[in-house]
Amino acid sequence: MKTIKTKTGIGKWLPRKYDLQKAEGTLQFADDLRFGPELLHASVVRSSVAHGEIIDIDYSEALKMPGVLKVIVGEDFPYHFGLYLKDRTPMAIGRTRYMGEPVALVVAETEEDAKEAVKKVKVTYKELEPVFDPVKAATTNSVLVHPDLHKYDHVDFITPQPNTNIANWFRIRKGDTEAAFKNAAHVFEETITCPQIAHGFIETFCSICKQDPGSGEITIWTSAQSAFTVRDIIAKGINYPLHKIRVIAPPVGGGFGGKAGMTVEALCLAAAMDEDLKGRPVKLFIPREEVLLSSWVRQGFVARIELAVDEDGLMQGIRNTFWFDTGISAEYGANPVRSARYTSMGAYNIPNVWADCYAVYTNKPFGGAYRGFGLPELMSALEVVVDIVAHKLKIDPVEFRKKNLLMKGQTTCTGMPMHDHALDKIIDKVAKKIDVLKEEPPIRKGWKRGKGIALAIKAPAIPADASSSAIVKLNGDGTVEVLAATMDMGQGTYSAFAQIVSEELGIPYDWIKVYYPDTQSHPYDWQTAASRSCWSMGMAVKRAASELREKLLALFAEYWQTPVENISIEYGVVKCHKLGKSERIDERVQNGFKMPDGILKGGPIIGTGSFTPPDLLYPDPDTGQSPKSVTHFTLGAVGVDMEVDPATGRIIINKVCAGYDVGKAITPINIKGQIEGGTVQGLSACLMEGMTYDEHGKLLTPDFTDYKIATIKDAPGEIDAFWEETPEEISPYGNRGVGEHSMIAPAPATNNALFRATGMRIHSYPLSRERVYKALKAKEKGETDFWEWPYALDLAYERAKKEW
Amino acid sequence: MKDKYVTLTINGRKTTLVVEDRTTLLTALREYGVTSLKRGCEEGECGACTVIMNGLPQKSCLILVREAEGAEILTVEGLIKKGRLHPVQQAFIDEGAIQCGYCTPGMVMTTYALLSKNPSPEEEEIREALSGNICRCTGYLSIIRAVKKSADILSGKAKGGELREDD
Ligand code: FES
Ligand code: FES
Repeated sequence: MKTIKTKTGIGKWLPRKYDLQKAEGTLQFADDLRFGPELLHASVVRSSVAHGEIIDIDYSEALKMPGVLKVIVGEDFPYHFGLYLKDRTPMAIGRTRYMGEPVALVVAETEEDAKEAVKKVKVTYKELEPVFDPVKAATTNSVLVHPDLHKYDHVDFITPQPNTNIANWFRIRKGDTEAAFKNAAHVFEETITCPQIAHGFIETFCSICKQDPGSGEITIWTSAQSAFTVRDIIAKGINYPLHKIRVIAPPVGGGFGGKAGMTVEALCLAAAMDEDLKGRPVKLFIPREEVLLSSWVRQGFVARIELAVDEDGLMQGIRNTFWFDTGISAEYGANPVRSARYTSMGAYNIPNVWADCYAVYTNKPFGGAYRGFGLPELMSALEVVVDIVAHKLKIDPVEFRKKNLLMKGQTTCTGMPMHDHALDKIIDKVAKKIDVLKEEPPIRKGWKRGKGIALAIKAPAIPADASSSAIVKLNGDGTVEVLAATMDMGQGTYSAFAQIVSEELGIPYDWIKVYYPDTQSHPYDWQTAASRSCWSMGMAVKRAASELREKLLALFAEYWQTPVENISIEYGVVKCHKLGKSERIDERVQNGFKMPDGILKGGPIIGTGSFTPPDLLYPDPDTGQSPKSVTHFTLGAVGVDMEVDPATGRIIINKVCAGYDVGKAITPINIKGQIEGGTVQGLSACLMEGMTYDEHGKLLTPDFTDYKIATIKDAPGEIDAFWEETPEEISPYGNRGVGEHSMIAPAPATNNALFRATGMRIHSYPLSRERVYKALKAKEKGETDFWEWPYALDLAYERAKKEW
Repeated sequence: MKDKYVTLTINGRKTTLVVEDRTTLLTALREYGVTSLKRGCEEGECGACTVIMNGLPQKSCLILVREAEGAEILTVEGLIKKGRLHPVQQAFIDEGAIQCGYCTPGMVMTTYALLSKNPSPEEEEIREALSGNICRCTGYLSIIRAVKKSADILSGKAKGGELREDD
């Protein structure tokens, strides 16, 4: 039984943890840490060809530069790293696979010295034919990005295809798709593409590594979302004892998946572990233009979707082929592919599903985790296709979606029953709030206005054993410290954990501190990813806090000689109303209580808790079927009211309405923040973002001047964010994740709105001004559909499309 | 490269810094210990390094520190008086306008500069003034609310320290 009273438990609006320090400017991010004059700096020499053999690296001139201590090359640190598939080396060894890949590392006394010396390193390449188009890479195998694919270690739930460019192939075979298509009243086929996009966090990457020469112990300070995963990947990569690696993760200035897994830590470690440098800390700060050039991106995506619909407008079958362009590494990027596959039916009840998802290597920067993890790409396609079908069948887009909705008890594409949710209610609300079916005159003269709707769905695509654990400590003044290795990178999890602790302990929120991760002090957590933290770590924190409560109450029960049921904790004070007792929590919780018999009992009180998803089963590799492939889904809907200027192709978003079934709102201020932030990030991706390369694979969008992301001027006039609460069964308070989900549906909703406004369907994201303008020009010539393949010089896609 | 000296006033404190010709104001201030300003791009694109120099908001990554000889520099650390937050800082907290916080010092300083010139800006003016500061986390609407609330606190129309709650 729980006997607590608090005004700051779950569901309350409270000022967020660390906002004060962020407003003051005193919160120290990795780049703000100071290490004194011993600190060395590393700077990276990068490949100038997209695919080539390294013939020679001449760094003799660099070594003569002031302050330079050492130049390190790939062969000096020949380890393979990877979360799911070990296909990545920190520096190219023998062969470079994309333009911008590290080929050498210069270490010097100052950052400037290192940067100057980088310019003196001469690398000679023998160029090889590159491949940039994922469909070509997957279908022709004329160029192999990883000829050694068969040699790489990988987890058993991914399936690389040796001697091809396919790093992972996932299948769904549910029901009898062939029959469904044969018997269907209507069959549709559409193709949609999304380019690679960048995370665009404002804090770039920064790592500082140090190895103690005597003990060999390694300390890594790094801008990482998941301290323990960094430790794990490094330990496995260099085959080093886990306990000799300590990862400290200072606050992260925006992650969005781009700092999940390992980023530049191993590269920095190559210098810190060097025999001649060992003992001195080495810092590797990646400047902006190198971030965009050389790090995780959201994978490019090509989707072909076929839908079979019966006479009554019910979806009977879906056949999907998804090509994810994972660049030169699928070490993390193999998994968004799995994530998308688990949801290849979208939010719909489709009895027959056939899906093939591929992660395809190309000679470009590598794909990895990005807010939404495969689903923004998938839903940007599927929700547009569904809209096209509704239009062609002359059913209104709201009704068509509701009619086919995947409701409780119906099975997903992996054969797992859907749980209860309120998506039907959310769709109604969204439709009503922006009056989605009503045509309204544009606000701006000469513009065209349209409204569109799209659905969002996503499950955490975590490994079945992704665990969390937490420690909650009670101090001698009644305050509480929480050690939970989630990274609060702005999503606000520490506020949520403090509210959970307040809820369980009856101790005020302001008395509760949550600390940034350090693998030395914190117990294990798998990752800050998958929108799992308030759910998985939330469970661990709740368990730890309630264990602490039980211990505290038991001591007071003995101390006051009364049954534990009579004791409560109210606003930080321990009370027994029956005996008229009321005492503050004081040093006795450290040193023990002097019991009525004179004996001291108790001592420092801590609570511990852990959580592992109890019932996940990996799907059958051939059919993708599993009774429980994922823990749960978060569903939602987004409505967009926009207008477009036909003279320039410019789109302005008047209003967005976005609702999600969050199960239970722990920290409403966070949910609102996640919905607003994700909506704008989704709109930004939809309207302006895409990594662009020239025909040699040179990135043409290396900085924020060329790679545009939304500014305050691009933000919509209004975002109406709301949520429903259908409780989740296995969850601390019924809550589900919502951090990523807000980015899933804004893009397709906008695309659908554009169609209502203009009658034109654009099949390639982004809906940039230029592209919209061109599409509207094509419309004047009678075209109804428009798409541009990003690899303009590589027409394999055109051919492949015909061959399909 | 030969060392040079620059004397400037940082948050009210007169200081002489040892610099090189190529040192930017951003680097100099960060090395001095004012780390609220961030290296977001070092190319004038993101606004994370914004300071007030002689009363005007400036991107410190675009200024060579030697150009700042004799200048008065104000950063977000300098807004705190007697341990109390400036209303702009408080409003950012109240409105949930801070997520990762990396853009926040720059946002706060740009807002401070805007409100010093224009105490009750229209929404369009707010969007114009802050268009050089990128935030990837918040989606900006909370920042617009925070700027409006800052103006209201400064003009006595609202009180700081009260969180906005949705119904
Ligand atoms: S760091 Fe100065 S504008 Fe980005
Ligand atoms: S709060 Fe993260 S960039 Fe603005």
